[in-house]
Amino acid sequence: MSGYALGATQVADTFAEAFPMRFARLVITAATDAWALEAARSMTGFATSVIGCKCEASIERSVAPDQTPDGRPGIAVLLFAMDRESVGKRVLERVGQSVMTCPTTACFDGLDGEGKTVPLGASLRYFGDGFQASKVIAGERFWRIPVMEGEFLVCEAVRVGRGVGGGNLVIGAGDEDAALLAAQAGADAMRGEGIALPFPGGIVRSGSKVGALTSKSLPASTNHQMAPTLRAQVSDTLVPEGVAALFEIVIDGVSEEAVREAMRRGLHAAAAAGATHVTAANFGGKLGEFHFPLTELRDPP
Amino acid sequence: MTLRLKLRTEPPASILAAPLVPARLRGLSAHAVAKLQLRCGGEEVAVGELFEVSRSGADEEQLVLVGDLWRFDWIGARMASGEIVVHGNVGSWAGAEMAGGVLRIFGDAGPRLGAAYPGARAGMTGGEIIVAGDAGEETGAGMRRGLVAVGGSTGSGSGLRMLAGTVIALGGIGAEAGVGNKRGSLVSGRPLAPLPVYAFATRFHPPALTLQLRRVRELGLTVDDALLRGTWSRWSGDGTELGRGEILVFDEEEGR
Repeated sequence: MSGYALGATQVADTFAEAFPMRFARLVITAATDAWALEAARSMTGFATSVIGCKCEASIERSVAPDQTPDGRPGIAVLLFAMDRESVGKRVLERVGQSVMTCPTTACFDGLDGEGKTVPLGASLRYFGDGFQASKVIAGERFWRIPVMEGEFLVCEAVRVGRGVGGGNLVIGAGDEDAALLAAQAGADAMRGEGIALPFPGGIVRSGSKVGALTSKSLPASTNHQMAPTLRAQVSDTLVPEGVAALFEIVIDGVSEEAVREAMRRGLHAAAAAGATHVTAANFGGKLGEFHFPLTELRDPP
Repeated sequence: MTLRLKLRTEPPASILAAPLVPARLRGLSAHAVAKLQLRCGGEEVAVGELFEVSRSGADEEQLVLVGDLWRFDWIGARMASGEIVVHGNVGSWAGAEMAGGVLRIFGDAGPRLGAAYPGARAGMTGGEIIVAGDAGEETGAGMRRGLVAVGGSTGSGSGLRMLAGTVIALGGIGAEAGVGNKRGSLVSGRPLAPLPVYAFATRFHPPALTLQLRRVRELGLTVDDALLRGTWSRWSGDGTELGRGEILVFDEEEGR
């Protein structure tokens, strides 16, 4: 395995391959941190992969009351999809089902500036059955939808930004516990402003390849090259000697730079936490326009 | 660019100050502004005779008026953009039929603040008016959109035939508020007995009002935290009209 060493960690000479995506950032506020978190968790649930969930979403960060539009505790979430229209559909569905339904919440656009938008309150208002009302506050329209608790306040539209989806690291070690510990450390270090880690805890154990060996209809199937149990069974295994478990961290970000720096943080944190091998998944460089060579991440953050 | 007009002397009669809006003064030198004529009773008077005129800065489209301008009517009337800041009192019809921009008055305002002209279907259609002191009768009459926020109290008849929009009076909305109100919001920071055409709905924390009060604070009014945290009574009306308007009254005992 060529590459370089970070202490006891061997880093492969390969790259992560990522794709352009569109994203929205929503700030969900509530009467308490706990209710804001409930809404954010619900909204970002079942949003691990665009292949199976039509979008990828996760909690980005907590937002302090003095930073939210209504002065209440908030959570920022990022939602990614392949195009603006898809972002709009998923945001509308998820805010309608997971945020509006959650006690005490309000929902705001978390992106600033000019740019294209997708309707949110402009569509969701029809739930108000004619009793909804709007207010324009500081140049932005908000909808007041009467609900059993009082009113749900939601912004008219949300801006859609251009982001990057599919950055990744694959982290391995000599046993499952050590690999998971290192992956958790990597995921913890990666989280931050502009970053979404859509899988459970930020970590995926069932990394996939495009298509399948046994079917033409499957869009994705297990990454058999990275499955340790198949190491002696397949001729094209990529599982390094001495590695018993591998975990992938998939990273969506608001920019190429955000993804690169998150990967850098994750790589060094995973190495420090006991990863014996770190590599990345790609498709030979033919599918994604963004490439993140691990050799460029050698310097610590 | 900030254009500053400091009152030299009180005019002998009411001044029609409607021409003094940022869009109409854009690009004019201080000298040119001083030569503009304003109606003063039945006469005309040059701006330069009434004010010391100066220009400064280059970033924003802002007009600053300094002095007790209680004889100046129609300040900011039909304004559509930019900002007017008044350090002093203003006369009647300030911000009448305003369509956009910000009018901030650090003093009292006379009657018909942000209102519709007689016979007009709609008054203010956008923008924000902030008054640190009190405002006169029929504030926000005929208003269709926008925000009027008063730190003190408003006179009687606020929100008369209001179509939509918001009138906030932190010191209390005056009597007989919201007659003919269709969809507008009247907000009183002090106890108020709405007219019988309004029906009590509930007490709640109105999330949109929180945003509006925070905006008002940004624009320079002092807003007690209790108003942001507290509960408000919602009264729906005018029941003889569309009935989708509201009067929100702060629950003082609950909130402070």
